[in-house]
Amino acid sequence: MVERSQKEVWRLTPWLMVALLLGNFVLMAYDAKTTSQERVIRVWTQAVANFVQSPVTSVTSGVTGYFQSISSLRTAQTENDALKQRVQELEVEVQKKEELADENGRLKALLELKNESKYKILPAQIIGRDPSLWFDSAIINRGSLDGVKLNMPIVNNGGLIGRVIAVSPITAQINLVTKDKSGLGGVIGELSTSNAIGVVSGTGKKELLEMGYIPGTIEVQVGEMVYTSGQDGIYPAGLKLGEVAEVRPGSATVPQQIFIRPSAKLYSMEEVAVVLYEPPPKPEYEKTLPNAVKDDKKKR
Amino acid sequence: MEQLKITIAVIIAVILQWTLRNVSDVFMYVDFPLIIIVYAALQRNTIKALIFGMISGIAVDALSGGLLGANGFTKTLIAYAVSEIARRVYLDNLLLQIPVIAGACLINDLVYYGLHRLFGQELTSPFLETIAYSLIGTTIAGTIVYLILGSFSTDSLKRNKRGSSSSRRQTRRRNPIRLGKR
Repeated sequence: MVERSQKEVWRLTPWLMVALLLGNFVLMAYDAKTTSQERVIRVWTQAVANFVQSPVTSVTSGVTGYFQSISSLRTAQTENDALKQRVQELEVEVQKKEELADENGRLKALLELKNESKYKILPAQIIGRDPSLWFDSAIINRGSLDGVKLNMPIVNNGGLIGRVIAVSPITAQINLVTKDKSGLGGVIGELSTSNAIGVVSGTGKKELLEMGYIPGTIEVQVGEMVYTSGQDGIYPAGLKLGEVAEVRPGSATVPQQIFIRPSAKLYSMEEVAVVLYEPPPKPEYEKTLPNAVKDDKKKR
Repeated sequence: MEQLKITIAVIIAVILQWTLRNVSDVFMYVDFPLIIIVYAALQRNTIKALIFGMISGIAVDALSGGLLGANGFTKTLIAYAVSEIARRVYLDNLLLQIPVIAGACLINDLVYYGLHRLFGQELTSPFLETIAYSLIGTTIAGTIVYLILGSFSTDSLKRNKRGSSSSRRQTRRRNPIRLGKR
């Protein structure tokens, strides 16, 4: 009896395998075709996983923080003295700045300019990293209920980290800028003065970005700062990307190859911020161009 | 008991895969669900290995930047291949199981890479480096996990029980022979 049932299992197994493989294949084909908004299974699994990831993240960060605080006690005394001195210096500076701010306010009122902050910032915590070794996305504890939308930029105090690629009601998946092959608009130096505007993309290597399409005739120095240009229709202009680490010169016809070291610490981040920025709508004439990128495809 | 052990092991493996990369980047080179699925296939739990392979693969894919179903596909394939090998070849020894984990890991990565290329998706990690580290990480972790699972196995528990009572039986047998000789 047991022997027969085992034989039945062996007979059934290839068919089951074929059925499961087909199911997975259909799922892959569907996932490869759909836009980010329609990834229902992914989005809801992320929301469920949040209940596991959040406690684990808080426990591990608590334990790490405890050991870090023990090790930093040694340097605390000298740091304390230095900070006291710094506080005194800053107090003087603050007084000066308050005077300047008053003056600025008065002058702005005279010119009838509105004092508005450009973008709203939403603080978030990284609760999970990509479980696959082939990708390097991360998951934050903010979702559509907090106002997070697709393609919103993610920053920390160092600069740009990446963008939102999937949103669930309570979590969002972000793609790191170093792993984003789709590219973003970048400019070396100030946007208003520089003409070194190109496309920055991920290299796949840790802590390195590549900038292309900079003509070989433009002089670029190692150490110069790179910012977003805002021309990609995703990121706002002026977000810090990093500094030029290496320049491989080109010629009049061959563009230079520029490598950038990101200013944000991408591999030791815990707290980040979502820039609640939505790009301005594209003008109508741009949508009717024969080579226009459809919105759905662009968001992929 | 064995079935329950594998079910719990798969759940733990998926949770570890979801969370451990947050603790350290080293853990990204260990494929915990694959280790358990190969273990289930080696125990000749073919149907369970196939179904767990698909479910755990999709659970990992859902939190990953890769294609949904790619891990499910590779793990289902691995589960079937390993169970077919285990049906024909005696693989109950840990030393024989180590190359099976390594081979499964290699095929898993190659198929995963191939599927993404097939669907025109660009993988962001360097190919050879990633496969090499994954092979080392998963094989080492797999060996440790199999040692742990082996120590919890019902067969080994029975063997231990038998081992502890055998000395008494031997002494019983010896005495009549000695008496007979005399």
